[in-house]
Amino acid sequence: MRGRRVDPAAGARAGALPEAIAALSRSLPSGPSPEIFRRAKFDRPDATSALWQLLFRVLSPLPAGSALASIALEVQARLVKSALCSQGYPRLALAQLPEDGSQGSRELLLALSWLLARGPVPEQMVAQTRVPLGDEMTVCQCEALASLGPPAPHMETEGPVDVRHVQWLMGKLRFRWRQLVSSQQEQCALLSKIHLYTRGCHSDQSLGHLSVTEAEMLRDPEGGQQVSGAGAAQNLDLAYPKGLHFSCTPGMGPRTFWNDLWLVCQQPGLLPGDWAAPLDPGGASACSLLFPLRVLLRTLEHENRRLEAVLAWRRAELVFWQWMDTVLGTCAPEAPAAASQPTFLPWVPECGDGELELVVRELRTLEEELREAAERRRVAWEAKARGCGRGPEWSAARRACRETVEKELGALQRCWEQDRSPAQAHGPHRLVRREDGAAGDRDLRAAELIRTLRSQEACLEAMLRQLQGQCRQELARLAGALPGLIWIPPPGR
Amino acid sequence: MLPADCSRRLVAELQGALDACAQRQLQLEQSLRICRRLLQAWEPTGTWAWEPPPEPETNEEDPLPACTPSPQDLKDLEFLTQALEKAVRVRRGITKTGERNKAPSLKPGSLVTSPGMTASTPPQSPGQAGGHASDTRPTKGLRQTTVPAKGRPERRLPSVLDRTRVGIGVRAPRPGAGLRNQLMAPSAAPQAPEAFTLKEKGHLLRLPAAFRKAASQNLSLWVQLSSMQTSDSMDAAAAKTQFLQNMQTASGGSQPRLSAAEVEAEARRLRKACSLLRLRVREELSAAPVDWMQEYRCLLTLEGLQAMVGQCLQRLQELRAAVAEQPPLPCPVGRPPRASLSCGGGAEPTWSPQLLVYSSTQELQTLAALKLQVAMLDQQIHLEKVLLEEEMGVQQRSAALRRSG
Repeated sequence: MRGRRVDPAAGARAGALPEAIAALSRSLPSGPSPEIFRRAKFDRPDATSALWQLLFRVLSPLPAGSALASIALEVQARLVKSALCSQGYPRLALAQLPEDGSQGSRELLLALSWLLARGPVPEQMVAQTRVPLGDEMTVCQCEALASLGPPAPHMETEGPVDVRHVQWLMGKLRFRWRQLVSSQQEQCALLSKIHLYTRGCHSDQSLGHLSVTEAEMLRDPEGGQQVSGAGAAQNLDLAYPKGLHFSCTPGMGPRTFWNDLWLVCQQPGLLPGDWAAPLDPGGASACSLLFPLRVLLRTLEHENRRLEAVLAWRRAELVFWQWMDTVLGTCAPEAPAAASQPTFLPWVPECGDGELELVVRELRTLEEELREAAERRRVAWEAKARGCGRGPEWSAARRACRETVEKELGALQRCWEQDRSPAQAHGPHRLVRREDGAAGDRDLRAAELIRTLRSQEACLEAMLRQLQGQCRQELARLAGALPGLIWIPPPGR
Repeated sequence: MLPADCSRRLVAELQGALDACAQRQLQLEQSLRICRRLLQAWEPTGTWAWEPPPEPETNEEDPLPACTPSPQDLKDLEFLTQALEKAVRVRRGITKTGERNKAPSLKPGSLVTSPGMTASTPPQSPGQAGGHASDTRPTKGLRQTTVPAKGRPERRLPSVLDRTRVGIGVRAPRPGAGLRNQLMAPSAAPQAPEAFTLKEKGHLLRLPAAFRKAASQNLSLWVQLSSMQTSDSMDAAAAKTQFLQNMQTASGGSQPRLSAAEVEAEARRLRKACSLLRLRVREELSAAPVDWMQEYRCLLTLEGLQAMVGQCLQRLQELRAAVAEQPPLPCPVGRPPRASLSCGGGAEPTWSPQLLVYSSTQELQTLAALKLQVAMLDQQIHLEKVLLEEEMGVQQRSAALRRSG
């Protein structure tokens, strides 16, 4: 039972499919031509490398730059395989494809469609390179601390690490955080002033004032006076490229990406020459200087065209899915998962298991505690209850109690069962200053956000204290078990 | 000292954290420079002026490196100069008669058409708010040197001047200054040109028309996209689900294998469960019931919590068993993206731009500080966990050693 109403008229229109594919390819960055798609259906080899590259662009967390383009096809292919697998791509044929782009275009087409079916890929791609016209702040903490670039070359320290070194690093980290806080405070003050002074300027009444980007564009439309180094679009968070705001849905995280790339490139013979140099995402390639008017206009126009393409795609995509079903039909069904793992980047079995172990321990401790406490109280209660009378209102009262407790605990369980926190908005928001603080339905108010953050802060502080306590316990245990171990705990905070 | 391999990971994590901080700091400082410069007096940027011939009236201070214009540029320059001279004449006429409304009357047709630029909309577009609208609309920014260009559509300016670097400012600072003052304070007598500061004259700025058009189109497209997402076509959604199912069955497995991402998600849920349960247990244990009803409630709650903890443990064991027996599809080496604890993760992003409204500097600063604080706590928690894991690893290894030794 197919379960969908096929609109005969839509399918019958001859041009519908090429149009849909054309819209799709216009909406994707460097999207391949519809011809490539057609060739891929027939598994033609010449369509393969374009599809590898497209998949790489879709799956990599960073916006395009010359840096990414210079990565060799083999490396791109490996990373694509790795990323797809980590997302649970079901077909094994992909893993077995050669990485030189010589065959497999149909499989790649299937992989692309799989990604398209699972999430709003074209929208995400446009959002990745979105032009932030305003001063933005993100509300959630997704990927907040992801590092931006390749990991510093691992210096394998030989010999034991001095605990004083660790303490010194921690102190340095604390200092850097303090610096960040004070710089951030200054920036907020300046931003607020700029907003205040330019109120009444904006053509959009709901905004009311200019953003820094807009003001800078007016000040220097030619972009002649540039700040030394690459200019960044105004983003209050400044922690990560704006694309990452939307990487809450599955994708490779930046740290993963760079780790993978590093490891892959360490394999001998994969990349000629020095790869480190062109990969500089923190530099000019990642954050383009947006202030010159013509650049801004051009980028905006480009984005508008992409958006129109996405809208066209959404209107026409049904035809595409019908077509993909036929493509899938031409593939031979695969045998159930073979016992042997296809060779991949080395997989570390303890991936994540250390943390699970932690949780298991905590829960066991909790269980013990609860068992003791509950038993005790149960005994005490039974003793007391025997003394009281038994009447209908007694049992009614007890039932009422039970129901209340059940409801409460049910609500508690829902707290973690529900993977989403619907109250929490995601993504960047444009900062707008209004004296009265009035906001529409869809807008956030700073005051509310502050409240939420305060409660989050309290929660996290409690968690941190608990963890620190646990750490100290473990250390004590360690010290007892291994004589001669001395540990000077870092100053508690 | 801690054993070497134990703290190496901690050191690596700390290094990563330090690098991330440093990068953020750099970007913040860049941003600060831009903001500070915006709040100072806006200098003439110098791209508008060549090395000018000695002109006592000019206030140009920054000479540009000389550039040799091409013949095409020279031709453009000539056109431009003629048009500008005409403009100056017109302006002088306007200044004398005091009729401001003639100012935008320069027809676009008389100007050089720059290739690649979209056709301009007539400067008089209705619906401009503010009394200054008709006067300041042609203005891209109130600056000395842009004055002669006021009569023309703003878009043209960048392309022409970009190529020619004309010494426009040379020609007409004085009438320009006069006009500018007139635009701002019609009744004021022409004064010596002042530097432009955001503080005093920021509210007079206007965005160029092309920009406004592109930006509003951009906004409306995003809104359309957003509304399309919420009312997603049933057919398309069903077709997609069907396709995914077909993919699954075609690959021979009715049960999708656990992916590393899913394992991580489940683990995250259970961690959250653990911390919530612990908090609740603390509350219950510290509460002092006053009557039998409360006592009963407390008892029931504790027993209920005990059952939930048991369930969670069971799920964890199942998860670990599943992972061990049929390893999840290989995950990239290195940790999967570490979602922050405070973030639910996986929520639907909304596409239409949303606003975050604040009412005072204080509020904005508090907000930003809290955000940083939460991020910092997140990081500290992560580091503590790393430390804990490493310690446990050491324990396990030493226990194994003792057993074997």
